Amino acid sequence: MKRLWIALVLLGAVFTAVLWNGRALTGLTGELTGLLAQAGVQAGAGDWAGAGALTRRAQETWTARDGYLHIMLRHGDTDEIDTGFQETLAYLACRDEEEYAAANARLIARLERLSEAEQLTWNNILSAAAGNRCRRGPCAVWGDIW
Amino acid sequence: MVIAFVRTIILYLLIIAGIRLMGKRQVGELEPSELVLALIIADLAAVPMQDFGIPLLTGIIPIFTLLAVTMIISVLTMKSVRFRALLCGRPSVIVENGRIHQREMKKNRFTVDELMEELRMKGITDLSTVKYAILETNGQISVLPYADQLPVTAGQMGRSPEEGGLPLIIINDGRVLDHNLKTRGLDRTWLDKRLDEHRVRHTEDVFLLTVDERNRVYLVAKEV
Repeated sequence: MKRLWIALVLLGAVFTAVLWNGRALTGLTGELTGLLAQAGVQAGAGDWAGAGALTRRAQETWTARDGYLHIMLRHGDTDEIDTGFQETLAYLACRDEEEYAAANARLIARLERLSEAEQLTWNNILSAAAGNRCRRGPCAVWGDIW
Repeated sequence: MVIAFVRTIILYLLIIAGIRLMGKRQVGELEPSELVLALIIADLAAVPMQDFGIPLLTGIIPIFTLLAVTMIISVLTMKSVRFRALLCGRPSVIVENGRIHQREMKKNRFTVDELMEELRMKGITDLSTVKYAILETNGQISVLPYADQLPVTAGQMGRSPEEGGLPLIIINDGRVLDHNLKTRGLDRTWLDKRLDEHRVRHTEDVFLLTVDERNRVYLVAKEV
């Protein structure tokens, strides 16, 4: 019976941890998409500095959890988000409204998909996963191992 | 490349721990759930080993989940006969009182060729000498020949041979296993005396020393 309890506790712990991870990711991506959406509105109103500040804040929030995200997510996905932030900030610096809007929308969509993929839904269980992409570029060794 | 190296070690140790938890049975004697685990676990470990674009946890979490589920299933099969029958099936009697049950063979998709092969592997070439042949849940065949086909035992001849003991290893490649020494109720003083009797000076010079329940010693010295 001891083995049974150990197994049930282990199973419960793993299940709780993955559910918690999903919720944490939803919280994070929700916060980031909120900031980016606000930045989009501000850019639309001509406040490029404000939009830039909000986007940078979102990027800092993302980067602050870099280690955790590299351990939990595919490297290709985290790379895409990093690139998306850089792209968006570049268009903000150029004040290219159309390109910025497209890049911002792409970044928001990627963040939403990221959190969607971690949710416990029939769609996620039964549908085909996105293709893997090998991570390229500099990264923390520990992040690479995990 | 260093990433592949470190991940491989981590996953390899994890798989060994998993296989160890499955117990002492060999691969050929695994129940269906255990066989599935062995097959899946290797595949799960290989993916993050080769592709370090995906998190290591992608391999670790499924492995832990499988180990936990396998443990639960193994406890349930131990506790419940019905569950065991559902998961592992029941043994099938293929030959009973010398008669082949053809329907059972068909039900198990067990051919005559396979039956003869299994019997030959057990040293039986004449089917008429087999009283029972049972196809076990792990795919192995258990064979019970007729009594007059079995070798004569000492008991049947009215003899009482000396009981053999279970030898315990006391020295293994120069290393003294103190817990085995204690199990036999012996100590180092006794061991030193036995070594003296065999003209061995140090325990490091002994390759193997076993002691059975009657304190009979078997010693093999190390080759120079």
